[in-house]
Amino acid sequence: MTAWLLRRLATAFAIVFTVVTFCFIAIHLAPGTPFLPEEGRAINPAAVAHLRREYGLDQPLPVQYVRYLAALARGNLGESFSQHRPVAAAIASAIPNTVVLAGAALVIDFVLGIALGAYQAARARRRADAALTTATLFIYSLPIFWLGLVLLLVFGQWLGWFPVGGVTDPVFYDSLSWFGKLGDRLYHLALPALTLGIVGAAGTARFQRAALIEALSQDFVRTARAKGLPESAVVIRHALRDALLPVIALLGLALPFLLTGAVLVETVFAWPGLGKLATDAIAARDYPLVLAATMLASIAVVLGSLIADLLTALADPRVRLVA
Amino acid sequence: MAITRSRRPTVFAVLLLALVASHACSRRGSCRGEYCGTLVLSVAGSVTTLLPPVSTTSAERNIFDQIFLRLADFTASGVTIGDSGFVPQLARSWEWSDPLTLTFHLDPRARWQDGPPVTAADVQFTFESYTDTAVAAGDLTALRHIAAVTATDSFTAVFRFRNQYPEAFFDATFHMRILPAHLLRDTQRRDWSTGAFGHAPIGNGPYRLVRWVPNETVELAADSSFFLGRPHVRRLIWRFATDMNLAVTQVVSGEADAIEVLVGPANIERAQAAEHLQLYPYPGVTYTFLRFNLRANGDSLRQHPVFADPDVRRALVLATDRASMVQSATAGRAKVPPGPMPQKWTWLWVPELTPPPFDTAQANQLLTARGWRDADGDGIRDRAGRKLSFHVAVPSTSGLRKQYARLLQEQFRAVGAELLIDEMDNAALGERLAAGTFDTALESFETDPTPTSGVPLIWGSGGGSNFGHYRNAVFDRQVSIASAAPTQSAAVSAWVTALKTLDRDAPGIMLYALDNVAAVDKRFTDVQIRPDSWLALVRNWRIPPDRLNERDRVGR
Repeated sequence: MTAWLLRRLATAFAIVFTVVTFCFIAIHLAPGTPFLPEEGRAINPAAVAHLRREYGLDQPLPVQYVRYLAALARGNLGESFSQHRPVAAAIASAIPNTVVLAGAALVIDFVLGIALGAYQAARARRRADAALTTATLFIYSLPIFWLGLVLLLVFGQWLGWFPVGGVTDPVFYDSLSWFGKLGDRLYHLALPALTLGIVGAAGTARFQRAALIEALSQDFVRTARAKGLPESAVVIRHALRDALLPVIALLGLALPFLLTGAVLVETVFAWPGLGKLATDAIAARDYPLVLAATMLASIAVVLGSLIADLLTALADPRVRLVA
Repeated sequence: MAITRSRRPTVFAVLLLALVASHACSRRGSCRGEYCGTLVLSVAGSVTTLLPPVSTTSAERNIFDQIFLRLADFTASGVTIGDSGFVPQLARSWEWSDPLTLTFHLDPRARWQDGPPVTAADVQFTFESYTDTAVAAGDLTALRHIAAVTATDSFTAVFRFRNQYPEAFFDATFHMRILPAHLLRDTQRRDWSTGAFGHAPIGNGPYRLVRWVPNETVELAADSSFFLGRPHVRRLIWRFATDMNLAVTQVVSGEADAIEVLVGPANIERAQAAEHLQLYPYPGVTYTFLRFNLRANGDSLRQHPVFADPDVRRALVLATDRASMVQSATAGRAKVPPGPMPQKWTWLWVPELTPPPFDTAQANQLLTARGWRDADGDGIRDRAGRKLSFHVAVPSTSGLRKQYARLLQEQFRAVGAELLIDEMDNAALGERLAAGTFDTALESFETDPTPTSGVPLIWGSGGGSNFGHYRNAVFDRQVSIASAAPTQSAAVSAWVTALKTLDRDAPGIMLYALDNVAAVDKRFTDVQIRPDSWLALVRNWRIPPDRLNERDRVGR
């Protein structure tokens, strides 16, 4: 187990290093320059050149790369060009928002997805199953940003049930009780988390349905039924436990989906998380911030995969972690 | 009592309801009377520093305008010559002791938000800071005519100018917000853009910063003891949206009270349909144009094979039906400018200046006369083996300019010219402009209240943003004469002469100058908008006590 873990960590390090290197080259080769004023204001090429020199962008790319790695080794992520503050501070303020959004979406994704999948499998090839299969396929095919815009328009602007973007109410938040503040945050979280969660849930449901149908045809399920157990107990206690194993593996794959989805959802709902930070940084050619956000995302994805493998091993005694 | 499994969903639902109810019930405020009120402003974008010399965005400027004052404030008259267009702000009076010496007498009631009075030493420090290259202030070049600022006593600041010119007072007052020397003197100026003061500024204005959540909100609170009069609206809160669509949605849905500009006819229609909103049109500060690169794409030492010829440029100007484009693309919410001018320069929109006519027959004649003919019958003219085909660089973030690129493409095709559209983001467009790697570009420019800075910057031979390499010594001289005009009427006459020269040379096609339309919740009264800074007079906006709602009563 220890050897397996060490090997996986070494692989993870290599992956993150490769991602950072690739991203470093790509962002520097991409057309565009940092330090431009907002659109419509006069560009001062001399000022841009001055700032490029100040930040060492006039140096050859290999020199910049070595300097970046040296700073990174010291734990220094650099200074954000566009945010006027250290990259670490910008990232630190965005991470909690993304964690909350992705966490809430993950809960919606798996709770709703597993429940729907189980319901469909228990009624496989009946009318309800067919209707839900069509519905989940439809939702899974929707572009997340489009779904977000529709939810925003319908539930935010037309019906006024939910707020139109933001994390808290800027007017009332400070005057709320602790309980009220929690409610305000959940209220603002609802639409972005639903947008991200239900698309994932549609995919999880399809996966869960297939796994459970497979499990329901197994011998141990037939044995459980032969023992006279009620069908709900057969499905939930016996078949579902077995069918959850592939879904645990799906958990690791859900992280990249959630992170890429968060980029779009955070942009649609003005949710100040890592995704929005990265999008803004790319538009501003804020190289240090783009690199830090990419590195963090790759670490999260690699760790997610690692955790999914560990959970699968813990849940299924047939799986052995071999170095 | 243990909660059984079957009751768990009910318990969770009750808890959730309790949270929402608690959230709703705790919205209670106690403020009553004239000085309550919360103004929530929705803005597409964000802010990163509120230290005026290093701030770069219009959102930042709108916020720090409430925190930091000028020596004298600009008025809606828009007159930049002399001092008739200004009213006292930090300075209660001023006089010229000779043509090169301007003395300001500070108002002794003016105080920094941490207590000390605003002194002449602050004024001197401010000038030194703005002109220090380490600060890299955007207004540095505008202050080039001022030789020195000295403090003769605590409340007397003396400006010495290098030369006499009509807009000296404008330059001395408009570009600089006075900074607190006692708080900034010991900080490294080269670090100001990332320094702590920019995130927790202490100013001398009617509002002070109370809360800043990066990329979410900025909140200012009114200073009840402000020396020029207590602001009526108690709280100003900026909400940052990711784009214009979300910003408008926040205002339309009532989550925000005001927005500076409703960009595009669709957004104006949405706001018009919202019963709680009042629209306020005011002159826009930008103009949009198609710039021709007179040098070869990517090689500034060679002439452009198409646009070095002024007749070809003129032909393309004549081939552009700007009036119908403005009507169809902006629903009439813009005007065709007769020169590089926004609507804000109302004094320069005179009958002597008229946009060139739309005349495809003349355009075709000009192109044919210059040897551009469609030899191979493919609908595109060519000359000596080169097609009359060129690219336009368009910012992908501007829907209106993308639409204009397509309209231009159609109109140029009618005279046998092929326009190829390259959409790119602002960072890429800026890089290509600065490097000269473009044929034509669809640009917008946000102007100062006066043409004397922007026109030579964009179109003058030595202009830092003259990316098309247009050069005409006559035009430069005419601009110099116009900039030195001693009166407004003389300035109009001189600018007309200069802009007619520019029109003849056609270094670009002036496409549209937008109206600005702001939307503000109807519970606000006394709403006055100044084109150069739409919130400049916000401290006079008010909400009658009978129109106050919960959001106005709650809070600090």
